[in-house]
Amino acid sequence: MDARMRRGLEIVAVLAVACIFGYAAWVGLAVAPPDREMGDVQRIMYAHVPMVQMMLLAGTILFVCSVLYLFRASWKTDALAEASAELALVFGAIGTTLGAIWGRPTWGVFWAWDPRLTTVAILLVALAGYMALRRFVDDPERRAVWAAVTAIVIAVDVPIIYFSVKWWKSLHQVQSNPRTVDPQMVHALRWNITAFFLLFIVFLVARYRIALAARMREITVPEAGPHAREAVAS
Amino acid sequence: MSALDTVLAAVGEGRIQGGWQYVKAAYAICWTGLSLYALSLFIRSRRTEEGK
Repeated sequence: MDARMRRGLEIVAVLAVACIFGYAAWVGLAVAPPDREMGDVQRIMYAHVPMVQMMLLAGTILFVCSVLYLFRASWKTDALAEASAELALVFGAIGTTLGAIWGRPTWGVFWAWDPRLTTVAILLVALAGYMALRRFVDDPERRAVWAAVTAIVIAVDVPIIYFSVKWWKSLHQVQSNPRTVDPQMVHALRWNITAFFLLFIVFLVARYRIALAARMREITVPEAGPHAREAVAS
Repeated sequence: MSALDTVLAAVGEGRIQGGWQYVKAAYAICWTGLSLYALSLFIRSRRTEEGK
C-alpha cells in the first residue's frame, strides 16, 4: 500500500469515526429519555461512562504490554505501553472531570473521598508519575524496563477501580444493568461506547506510531541515545 | 417503619429540574479536551514525519 492510499484510508476512517461520534452524541443528548430522578443531568453518563471505560481499557493494555516487554523485549510493545499510558491519563482525567460535574447536582459536591473516586485519583497521579519517569531516563532499554515494572505495579489499581463499587458500597453507584434501565438509554450508551472506542483506537494508533518513531530514532541516530553518546566520546 | 422506609421518606420522590448547564459544561469539556489532544497528536505526528 503506497503512502497516498494509506493517507486516503486514514482520512476516511477519521471521517467515519466523526460521523458515528456525532450520531452517538445526538442520541444521548436528544433521543434518550431523561432519568426518573436525575432528569436531564443523567445525560452526562453517555460521555462519562465511555471515557472511564476507555481509561480502564488503556490501563489493561498498558499492563499486558509491560508484562510482554519483560518476557520478550520489543520496541513495539514498549511504544504501545507508552501510548496506552498517555491515553489512560487523558481519558481518565477528562472522564473524572465529567464525573465531578455530574456529582455536583446529584451528590451536592464536586468531589468526595469515595473509594471509586479515590482509586481513580491514585491511578491518575501514578500515570502522571509513569509519564514523568519515561522522560527522566535517557537510556531507552533501561527506561523500558523501569517503565514496565512501574506499569505493572500501577495496573494493580485497575481491577480495584472496577470492583470498588461492589466491595465498598459507598456514594458512587454500582454498574448499571441493561435489564434495569430503559432500552433507549441502553441504545444511546452502546452507541456512545462504540464511538468512544473507535476514537480511542484512532488515538492509540497515532500515538503508537509517534512513540515507535521516537524509539527508532533513539536507537539509530548516533546523537540520540546515551550509549551512542558514550561511544562517540570514547 | 423500617430503616429503609425512613431513608426513602427523607429522600422523597422528586426529580432534579433543569440541570442542562451541567450537561453543556460536561460535553464542552469532553469535546474540547479530546479535540486538543487530537490536535497535539496531529502536530507531533507531523514533526515525526518531518524528522524522518
